[in-house]
Amino acid sequence: MPRSSRRVVSPDADSDPGHYSDPPLLVLASLADGAKHGHAMLLDIQEMCGTRLGPGTLYGAITRLERDGLIEPLAADDRRQPYRLTAEGRRVLRARLATLYQFARAGLRKLEA
Amino acid sequence: MNARLARWLTSLYPPMWRARYGDEFTAFLENQPTTLPAILNVIGSALLEQLRASGDFHMNARQRTLVLMAFAYLAAVAAGMNFYWTVNDTPLAAVMRSHTELSASFRAVAFGSVAAFAVVIAIALPITTSIAVDAIKGRRWRTLGRIAVPFAAAFIVLIWLVVGTIVTGRHWVATPWDVTGDWPAPAEWPPLAIRWTMGSVTFALLVCALAASAVAASQVIRESDFSRYRAVWFRSASLALAVSVAVMTVGVAGWGWFAQQYAAGDFHARNGGLFNSTNVFSWAASCLVFTAASVMALLSVRNQWSHA
Repeated sequence: MPRSSRRVVSPDADSDPGHYSDPPLLVLASLADGAKHGHAMLLDIQEMCGTRLGPGTLYGAITRLERDGLIEPLAADDRRQPYRLTAEGRRVLRARLATLYQFARAGLRKLEA
Repeated sequence: MNARLARWLTSLYPPMWRARYGDEFTAFLENQPTTLPAILNVIGSALLEQLRASGDFHMNARQRTLVLMAFAYLAAVAAGMNFYWTVNDTPLAAVMRSHTELSASFRAVAFGSVAAFAVVIAIALPITTSIAVDAIKGRRWRTLGRIAVPFAAAFIVLIWLVVGTIVTGRHWVATPWDVTGDWPAPAEWPPLAIRWTMGSVTFALLVCALAASAVAASQVIRESDFSRYRAVWFRSASLALAVSVAVMTVGVAGWGWFAQQYAAGDFHARNGGLFNSTNVFSWAASCLVFTAASVMALLSVRNQWSHA
């Protein structure tokens, strides 16, 4: 099939600034106000920051957080498995959010300067 | 998502992961809408879990070697396909005919791909046959199903391409390298929107086919015993595959360097790249994936030789 080398005009850049996406941090933040199962976490995260995590991404984050001892499973509710933060998870979440908060404040100060 | 699809997607994860999360993940998936992005996300995540599990101590050296070889080969297939379709039928193909260095680099990639295919056939054919025979004797239909995954995946992609070509008038193949938007396509090609849509479906099918094949191969290897085979066989095969993939990687890198020297204009044009990207971008993507394949192939050699 013939092709030519004529150039195309690039479409305008997408003006969407994008959503925040750090799945483990989003899961930790979602569990900050109490235990939740996977589907409730997805909805909560979407409401918090507009990010819709994929099912595999969510469970990838859950796997890693549980392995690192930052979240723990509770007794299963039917087939749904709720999770909650551990004390270490709460400490890590607080530290990471504080760092992000300082970063955001510094960035905003620069913008306003 | 219906229960059958949810169960199938869960089955793509490693056994240890399924033992811990399988039931709740299946229940969770049943609660999710059936969308292509969600399915691709789960397949990709399953592949990542398989990759992570391949580094654990529940596999012996031979199983790890074979898993790394399978992943390296599939990555090389993806990179090679992207490279071939980026160059095919573009002015760069014509430039190659007049510059020996370019055509020699391209031939090196072709040689490497034939050699890698020969290595994979040499090692996969006896192993797969033996595993399939054992699975039939032991009535392990799930194992047989996993062996069939790469063939079924290739068949589905092929059928899609053939049907797409026929439906759109037999003048255009629905590949993501042929969507193009910067030049007047031949009149007999379908409209641009259809080319983008069908090219995207082909891309999604290719990604699914490669990911599902990698996962299935990894699962079959993990469940099998390779102690009856001689160590020298694994060492030779892993080394031969690593050399073949390295030849392809060097060939592609060299080809890009010469293309920049002899045909910079065509190299930077948008007439063959993946999803209408520039040829140089598509080439760089191939280089990156080939490099990853080389690293995995070298790890398989190191793993086999250090445990020999």
